[in-house]
Order: sequence, then C-alpha cells, then structure tokens
Amino acid sequence: MKVELQNLTKIFPSRNKKSGEEVIAVNNFTFTIPDGQLVGLLGPSGCGKSTTLYMISGLQQPSGGKIFFGEDDVTDLPAESRGVGLVFQNYALYPHMTVKQNILFPLQNLKGPDKMTKEAMLERAYEAAKLVQIDELMDRKPSELSGGQQQRVAIARALVKMPRVLLLDEPLSNLDARLRLQTREEIRRIQRGTKITTVFVTHDQEEAMSISDMIVVMKLGVVQQVGKPQEVYDNPVNLFVAKFLGTPPINVFEGEVKGGKLYIGQSAVLDTPGVDDRAVTVGIRPEGFILDENGPLTCNISGIEVMGRDVSIVSTNEHSLNPVIRSIINSDANINAAATEVSYSLKPHKVFIFDKETEERLYFEV
Amino acid sequence: MANESVATKTYFWYEFRKKLSAFAKKIKFDQWKGWIYLSPAIVLILIFTVWPIFNTVRMSLLEGYTTMKEVNGAVFNFGIGNFKRVIDYPGFLTCLKNTVLLTVLTVPISTFLALLIAVCLNSIKLFSRALQTIFFLPYVTNSIAIGMVFAAMFKMIIGGQARPDSVGIVNNVLEALGFDYINWMNAGSEYWANIVVMTVYIVWNALPFKILILLGGLQSVNKQYYDAAKVDGTSRARVFGRITVPLLSPMIAYVVITGFIGGFKEYSSIVGVFGEGMGPVGNAYSLDTMVGFIYRAIGKQEGTASAAALILFAIIFVVTMINLYVSNKKTHY
Amino acid sequence: MSEIKVMKQRDMQQVTAQQRVIKIVAKVITYIFLFTMALIVIFPFYWMIISSLKTLDEYRLSIPTLFPKFIDARNYIEVFQNKDLLLGKLFMNTLYVGLVSTILSLVITVLSAFAFARLEFKGRNALFGFLLATMMIPGELFTITNYQTVNAFGWMETFTVLIVPFLVSVFYIYLLRQNFLQIPNELYLAAKVDGTTDLKYLWKVMIPLSLPNLISITILKMMGAWNSYMWPRLVANDDAHRLITNGLRTAFTDASGNTDIPVQMAAVALVSLPLFLVFVFLRKYIMKGVSRSGIKG
Repeated sequence: MKVELQNLTKIFPSRNKKSGEEVIAVNNFTFTIPDGQLVGLLGPSGCGKSTTLYMISGLQQPSGGKIFFGEDDVTDLPAESRGVGLVFQNYALYPHMTVKQNILFPLQNLKGPDKMTKEAMLERAYEAAKLVQIDELMDRKPSELSGGQQQRVAIARALVKMPRVLLLDEPLSNLDARLRLQTREEIRRIQRGTKITTVFVTHDQEEAMSISDMIVVMKLGVVQQVGKPQEVYDNPVNLFVAKFLGTPPINVFEGEVKGGKLYIGQSAVLDTPGVDDRAVTVGIRPEGFILDENGPLTCNISGIEVMGRDVSIVSTNEHSLNPVIRSIINSDANINAAATEVSYSLKPHKVFIFDKETEERLYFEV
Repeated sequence: MANESVATKTYFWYEFRKKLSAFAKKIKFDQWKGWIYLSPAIVLILIFTVWPIFNTVRMSLLEGYTTMKEVNGAVFNFGIGNFKRVIDYPGFLTCLKNTVLLTVLTVPISTFLALLIAVCLNSIKLFSRALQTIFFLPYVTNSIAIGMVFAAMFKMIIGGQARPDSVGIVNNVLEALGFDYINWMNAGSEYWANIVVMTVYIVWNALPFKILILLGGLQSVNKQYYDAAKVDGTSRARVFGRITVPLLSPMIAYVVITGFIGGFKEYSSIVGVFGEGMGPVGNAYSLDTMVGFIYRAIGKQEGTASAAALILFAIIFVVTMINLYVSNKKTHY
Repeated sequence: MSEIKVMKQRDMQQVTAQQRVIKIVAKVITYIFLFTMALIVIFPFYWMIISSLKTLDEYRLSIPTLFPKFIDARNYIEVFQNKDLLLGKLFMNTLYVGLVSTILSLVITVLSAFAFARLEFKGRNALFGFLLATMMIPGELFTITNYQTVNAFGWMETFTVLIVPFLVSVFYIYLLRQNFLQIPNELYLAAKVDGTTDLKYLWKVMIPLSLPNLISITILKMMGAWNSYMWPRLVANDDAHRLITNGLRTAFTDASGNTDIPVQMAAVALVSLPLFLVFVFLRKYIMKGVSRSGIKG
C-alpha cells in the first residue's frame, strides 16, 4: 500500500509562554511512499523525522495537511484504528507479559468482524514469531531476553496484525555494533518477504543508505532531498545533505569561482563551466582525490592511516573548513611516507560546489 | 503473510470510527478526556473538601454561629468573636497546653529512640529480620484497642483494703525495682502521671513508622561512604555524627515534620487509654486536646468549632514551615 | 633492628586485639538494647493475650502471674455473648464498609492517577497542585462542614455516610500517579498502535504493572475502615451501622473505672486478630505503602 503525505505540517506550541514562539517540527512535507518500499527518514536529532513517523502512526495529530494510505484518507483516524505496526526505539514490550502474550496483544484488540478465534490468533502469532526466529522463546518474559531478541519480539508484535504500514523508530540504536549489522539485514529480509510498506527513522546515514529503497533527508522540519540512496549521495542538492551523507564525511573548503574556474586559495583546481563568478563552498568526497605530483591542490600531511584495501591520507590546508582533510586512495598507489606535502588533482563528479550564502548546489558541466 | 490488510475488510465499522474521531477532533475531545476521568474525584472533592474550606472560614467569621439557629432564620454578624471566644475559653487553653506538651515530649523522644533502634538494626545481621518485624508490629494496630491494653497495664484495681487489690503490671515492675507504686491514671491521679502514661503510649505507637523510614534511609545510604570512613580510620561516634546523621537528615526531617503534624492532631490515643472522658475518673477533660475540643463542638457550636479548626490549621502550618525552614538549613541536600 | 620490628608487631597485635574487644562489647550492647526495646514493644500484646485468658480473680492478684494458671476461654465466650458489643454485627458492618469503600476508592484513584499521569489537558498541573495543597489542611477542618452536609443529604446513620466522604484520597492519587509516571510512555503509545482504548490499556498494562501499589492501597484502606473511630462515632453511632473500633470503645466505657479487664482484653484481642493476620501475610505491602506515606490507615 502506498503512503501519501500531503503538505504535512506539525506545529508545537511554545514551551516558553513569554516568548510565544511556536516550534515548527515538520514543515509542509509532501511525499509519496511507493507500495512495498522501505523508506528511511534521515536527519540529525530535532529534524522532525520522528514527528513525521508518529503522525503516520496516528500517535500525533498533524497541525495541517493530510495522510493517505492508498486512496484512504486516514488523517482523522486515531492510532488504534489505523492498522499500522510500530517498533519503538526501546521496543516498549509489555514487561509483565510473556513473548507470546506480547505478540497476541494486538490481535486480541481486534473488534467486530475482524475478531479472530483463539486458534487463529495463536497460529498467526507463531507465524510472526517464526518470521523473526523467536518461536523458541514464546514463554519467556521480556526481561529474560537479550536486546536483539527483544527487538525481534517488537518486530513480530508489529507485524502480527499484518499492518498496512510498518514503522520503525530508530530500530537499531539500542543494539551493539555486530548485532546492528545482522539486524539490519534481517529487517531488509523481512521487509522484502512481507512486501509491507515500511518507513524507518534513523540518524545514522550508513544504516539508512545500506537498507533503504529510498531515503528522505530532513533538517529542522524541512525535507532537503528525496531519492535512492546512491543518487542522493552522488548528487546532493545542498551543503547540508552533502555533509550529512558519507563516511568519512565530505571535505569542505572555502573557494571562489572566477571565469569558469574553481579556485581554492590561489590555485585553480577545476574547470566549472556554467557557474557565475562568486564566493562558494566546495565539498570534495574523500574518494574524489587523485594523487598527482603536479596536482593543483597541495596539502600538508599530518598522518597516513592504512585500512587494508585503501589508504586514508590525513592532511591540512588553510582553506579547509574542517580541521583535517581526509582522502581515500587505493593502496596500490605509490605514497611517499616521508613526504610532508601531498598534491592532488580532483575527480570532477566527486566535487560539489555550493553558494556560500544559500548553501544551495551550483551545477557545472562535467 | 498476505498483504491484504485486516482493517479494510470492515468498511462500515472503519468509516464510523473515522467520522467519530473527526468529530472528537472538532470538539477537542482530548482536552475533555482528562476531566471526564477526573470527574468522580472532582465532584467528591468539591463537596467534601472545597466547600468545607469556604464554609469553615464563613462560619468562623459569623458571630456565635450555629446551624440550628441559621435554619430557624437567625442572622449573624460578621466578626472575629468566635476566635476571641475560643481563646478566652479556659477549656481551650487546657486543650492547647495538653496538645503542645504531648507533642513536644513525644516527637523528640520517639525520633531519638527510633534513630537509635534503626542504627542498631542496620548494624547487625543475626536476628535482624525478626527484630525488624517485631518493631513494626505496633504499626498494624488499632490505637483505640491497644490504648485499652495500656490502660490495663497502668490501671490499679481498687479493692476494699488501703492497698489496691492489684496495682497494675507497670507498678509491679516499679516495686520489683524498689520504688513505690504510683497512681498513674485512676481517680485522683496527678496530671504529670497521666501525661507520662500518654507519652509512653504515643511514643510506643509512633516508633514503628519512624523506624521504618529511618531504616529505609540507612539502607539506601551508599556503603562506600562507610568504607571510605573505615579506610580513613574514623571513629564510630564520628561516623555517626558526620556521615550517618547528615545523610539521613532528609528522613529525619520527614519523620519530625509528620510527627509534629500528628502530635497536634492527637485525640484517639487519649480516647483509647482514658476513654471519652479524656481524663481520669473524676477529672474529665483534663487531658482534652484541640481535636477533642473541635469534635465536641461539631453539630452544636459550629462557629466556635470552625474558629478552633482554623487556629489548629494555622499552628500546624506555622510549625511545618518552621520545621521546613530549619531542616532546609540543616539537611545536607 | 629486628627487635624493634618484633616490638612493633606485638604492639600492632595488641591494638587489633583491643579493637576486637571493643567491637564485641559494642555488639553485645547493641543486642541488649535491641532485645530490651523489642521486649517493651511486644509486651502490651503479650499482656493483652495472657490477661484475656485469666479469670478476674487471678487478674486481681496483687502479685501478678506472667502466665495464667489455667487457660480460660470463658472471657472470649462472654465477649460474643455481650449484648453491648454485638461483635459479629460490628465485624460484618466494618467488613462491608471496608470492602465497598476500598473498591470504589480504587476505581476513582486509578482513573484520576491515569488522567494526571498520562493525559494532556489544560489546567492539569494547576489542579494537581491544588489537590496536593489540600493535603496540608487537617481533616478536622473538613469534618465540621461535612457533618452538616451529610445531615442535609439525609445520610445520618447509613453506610453511605461512612463510605462516600472518604472515597477520594489525594495521597493515594499522588502515590499511584508517581507509579504510573514510571511506566514508560512508549508502552502507552505501543498499546495505542496495537489498537487498545485508554481503559483497556489501563486494565491490561498499567494496573498489572502497579499491582504492588494497588495492594498496598487496598490494605491501608481496609485498615482505615477497621481503625476509624471519630467520624463513625459522629455520624453512625447506631446498632445497625456502628463500626468495630467505635463499638469496642463504647462497650467498655465505664465510669466506675473497674471494668472486667480480662473480658475487655479478650475483646481487644479479637478486634486485633484480623490486623495481625494482615500483618503476618501482607507485611511486605504495608511496609512498602507506609514507607512512602506516613499515613496511618
């Protein structure tokens, strides 16, 4: 089922009565989530991604705009009638109930024609439990489970009523690094298997990029960019998106465009046809550097980190807006470990320039 | 699992829910819901708490107010005559004296004893649970019923002879220790003896709660403080004065404040020991308290009762404020 | 050199020996103190029981017996036959009032605590603050007017008058609200998504999770009915509605001062028995409730 958000807006009244300032948590969010896709809402804390998720679930009422599940306007429908599944960051398992009772709980709440027989409910509960591989743990209490197992129970509970939409709020943030990788794949597998339209919220760009069909990058309640993970990474629309995606993060310099050339400091580093003369901010992906003795961009080396397949050169430059510049070079390249300086030429499609004031992307012809 | 959702099968019900919640949203039901949940409590509080507050102030300010006369159409003048009458009334002074005396005697004694017992209980392992249970036992009792037991322990049974048939178990113990027996509470007993009886009973009654609170406080004190003190070679007395009492000060303040409040409301323990006469036979009301005074005026002299109740409230309020002020200065967090 | 070392070692040993002695003496004193106090605390109960088993003649002996010469249950029979006391009726009255007021009070307390802990509405904090403030006012201040009110309602000498005025306890609402606040809000949200109504969530999640507190409240409320004296004495002092504590005091108020103490003690023991049973089986819950309250009954 596709989920359509039309001009979705959420305004919180100000906590401070004197200033009377309202907080716009989500501002005019319009977006259609295609049927059966896994969409990641991504952004730093306070960007409105959780609020958006809660509005889709019905736990929070939008101040403006509409939400459709398929053709069905659910904006006024409270959470309990919306038929969504939600997995909370801390799982929110009922501590006094066993795993089985937790998973049965949503089914027991079905009323009227949806009401199920006890046998049917049990069958469904075991089906859901098998899907997340916890059918062995059905009689345990949540306190007797590990974090990863609790997470699976929470997913099973959300899935058991066959929700129209599955929502995941920071589902991996309470797991340790190894489990996170594993669970990530698991979520992907379950989503592919059930084909339930799924929205998940995260502040971890790597997590979002790795499993989403689509990502939505948000900042201060405003959607910055929507697209397939690779597209957004390769083509950020503004400095914020460019900075937010990618590890190691993008290297940012101050620069200037003069006569169709991009200058960092005094050296012209790249041809940028189609951009008017102005002061700019330059973003260069770590993999956008090419070792080149005659390259136009020269930096002072402060360290070399060997990472096996690749080598990361840590350096500084007076025009860099980050404390250090990090470039990733194939380890086959011949690097002089004793050198104090390194010179680069740049891969044009890994270099993004942004207006210094508006921080919007300025496109040039490659 | 099929992707077909359960909810869409139930179109009618679903549309109904949707309309209902749109309506709820329109009338801002969320704002109302809380008040609906609270409505039983609010109705009862309005009748039995809020109205009495206003009415008590009103009655206390109407000269010589009684309900009976009001029903008969009498009109009362505004004034502070009720308060004057209460204070001028010699019986009220007795009540005030008894209340203050019993409070001032019992709160420090019971707090000190409770602190001592709690600290001792906290320092032992063997029998600790059994002793804790025993010390908590008086809490779960009926203060009237056990008051009657205390009366039996202090009372003499007068026979035909000069010496009573039985002097009571307390006097038996006194005699065994070489003292003379004392007329604690029979006819002709002296005021101080009565007060001693009441003090013993009230302290006995007050101990379990205080021990429980203080022991709870002691057990929650981080053991590391004591280990640190041990490493530093601090003496026991110093540990008590410099670590235990300061860390326990919020709990001590709490039991002292509740003790004062309870003390000023003393009534039923005296009824338990001395009966509704509130004094030894032949000397009724010699041990009357402020609450006793108020209770006897209920249904008869409401104006006076209200004035007395407000005076009691004022005293409790002031004493609590003083207590809080002092404990804020003395407590270490 | 080595001699000094030996000396020092011996000194050290002496010091630790001394410390050990002090420690043992302190322990002994601690135990003597605790056992003495325990004896004093428990003595009235002991005295009540043995006195209730003595004949009046034995009780009157000038040198008291610490254990009855022969156990005499006649006092207890006499208590049950006492026309002034009607113990069975008093038990039933008190049980009825206790049960009804506990159930109703729990319903009101749970609903109110839920509203204060989980629902958002205008005026919530102001109302809660006001309720807390009323806790400072001594109950006697309310009693004067409440007496008039229940009289006007025509409730005198009914069970209603013993139940209704005390159904709302701000303290219990406060206690339960604190308990509810500790339950993570996500559980409420999860339950909403899972399709529950507020009331079902209360029943299925919040009540099971705060059961220990609810049990504490139940016990304290029942004990309150058992021990209440002043209000029942004022408004329902008739045979049909009299509660146990009032009945006990009234039956044994005797101007001459020479009541039959063994019978009286038997009555007191019978009245105390249910409380002891509660104490034995439910001590944990009472202590938990009390340590947060400081309210007796």
